[in-house]
Amino acid sequence: MQRITEQTATEPVLEEGSSLTRDAMHRLFKNRLALVSAGFLLLLILVALLTPWIAPYAYQDQNLLLGASSPSAQHWLGTDTLGRDQLTRILYGTRVSLMVGFVATAVALGIGVLWGATAGYLGGRVDNAMMRIVDVLYALPFAIFIILLTVIFGSSMLLLFLAIGAVEWLTMARIVRGQVLTIKRQEYIEAAIAMGLSRWRIIRRHVIPNAVGPIIVYTTLTIPSVILLESFLSFLGLGIQPPQSSWGSLISDGVENMENYPWMLIFPALTLSVTLFALNFLGDGLRDALDPRASKD
Amino acid sequence: MLRFLCKRLALAIPVMLVVITITFFLIRLAPGGPFDQERNVPPEVMANLHAQYNLDAPVVRQYFDYLGDLLRGDLGPSFRYTTRSVNEMIARGFPVTMELGLYAILFALLVGMPAGIIAAMRPNSLQDYVPMSAAMVGICLPSFVLGPILMLIFGIWLGWLPVSGWGSTPGDKILPAITLGSTYAAYIARITRGGMLEVLSQDYIRTARAKGLSTWRVVMVHALRGGVTPVVSYLGPALAGLLAGSFVVETIFQIPGLGRFYIQAAFNRDYTMIMGTTVFLAGLIILFNLIADVILVWLNPRLRQEAGH
Repeated sequence: MQRITEQTATEPVLEEGSSLTRDAMHRLFKNRLALVSAGFLLLLILVALLTPWIAPYAYQDQNLLLGASSPSAQHWLGTDTLGRDQLTRILYGTRVSLMVGFVATAVALGIGVLWGATAGYLGGRVDNAMMRIVDVLYALPFAIFIILLTVIFGSSMLLLFLAIGAVEWLTMARIVRGQVLTIKRQEYIEAAIAMGLSRWRIIRRHVIPNAVGPIIVYTTLTIPSVILLESFLSFLGLGIQPPQSSWGSLISDGVENMENYPWMLIFPALTLSVTLFALNFLGDGLRDALDPRASKD
Repeated sequence: MLRFLCKRLALAIPVMLVVITITFFLIRLAPGGPFDQERNVPPEVMANLHAQYNLDAPVVRQYFDYLGDLLRGDLGPSFRYTTRSVNEMIARGFPVTMELGLYAILFALLVGMPAGIIAAMRPNSLQDYVPMSAAMVGICLPSFVLGPILMLIFGIWLGWLPVSGWGSTPGDKILPAITLGSTYAAYIARITRGGMLEVLSQDYIRTARAKGLSTWRVVMVHALRGGVTPVVSYLGPALAGLLAGSFVVETIFQIPGLGRFYIQAAFNRDYTMIMGTTVFLAGLIILFNLIADVILVWLNPRLRQEAGH
């Protein structure tokens, strides 16, 4: 992988010993905001993985006598109306939100890359038909359709993965197709054809790896929009169902009680926003590092 | 131009048909009939209900009947509120949502475009960083976070503005419009900045500067037209987002708009209402995308040539 990425020909290699990958890493490491974001996200992922062991209370522990209490030494982020520890709830919510974010993005990534690469590589009539399908799907109002799906099939985690993944692959397909159209004209592809490799093998071994830069960038930027979509659904009560919680459903609980217990709104809202910041900064940083020619927008 | 319009229309019609078809058959896939919740209904009453809602016909027949009704603009009766039709609910809710969306997009344009232009005039200076950081905040604060926070600060703690309702107390439209518009203000600021930066680096801008025109005149008169085209192409998709956003904002601020009706219908399993609203909103989004495309071609003559053949 490492070696192949070096060929991503966005600009000529300047001098010996300074590969494009190393240049990109160098640019990324100079971007402190992106680095801090990456660190924060790694920490968040670690915390999410370790939640069952590090959460201060059990997930379902209620303390009805205590009720909603403000942050204290026992409950760092306070408790909700049933006396459940907020920190614990947010930690478990982080697990759910991050999982939806990563899995649905992976679904989108898989479909989008295959679709875009195939369309771009085969070209001609196949490309035309495949991209017309993307155009048609693009025009569909997806937020509405996901709500429709959750109403009809009841909301489950699997449905959320599939539905959100099914929405987000479209842009990925367009980006990959654009990349592939450029790569297709490169000489090493001609060489691969001359060597008699099958089309599928060329797509998989030569085309997709060379389009990897923009794919990484767009993936990083897809995760926050997926997390946002899940939170949006859960906020409306159509996503993650109790007793499970995600950031969206915690915020929704917080809104109901914000007049008397503002910490119930503030902490989950803060967690979601900071995570979205980090993902966006990291995505921007990666774009500047991997694709210096792309402008900020 | 005409040819382009026809081409876009030729795409819009199948899209609409796909939407209607998917919606219709998805609803038919829903487990359980719409009246299963009613207990102890005598079979003849049930048969009557089914006949009233045309559920006793074969599905394909129902589908074509529905298409026919749609052509006549009839979205059918509501399952839950037997005295109301879907058309009535839309007629009541849509003007409210439309007004909210209009204020939101006005807010977004009035805040976002100047911010983007100011940032583009001096890239990588404080004048650029401040508005762009604010835009990042706007993008990372979704409406269901921003809305409650605004409510908490301006409605409850400071007591300046009402926190719910629509048109009943003065000022109750301000917070919802800002909540709905802020994300779009942020995106518009970034897009305007990007577009302006590109235009400002072109030769004719240098010429205009060399003629001794003031910076202000160069930016506002010469660069703006080219610089805002990306904003126009963003407005179509933004509208789809605005409608989805209105679900949240109308729920938070208890505004009797279409978005709130839709969410209520989703919870009530009011299938005809869901179907009617989905088709209506989808049609609207497709229409606005079409209009945005046409304006785009009109603004940018180079696209006109590409669109011609």
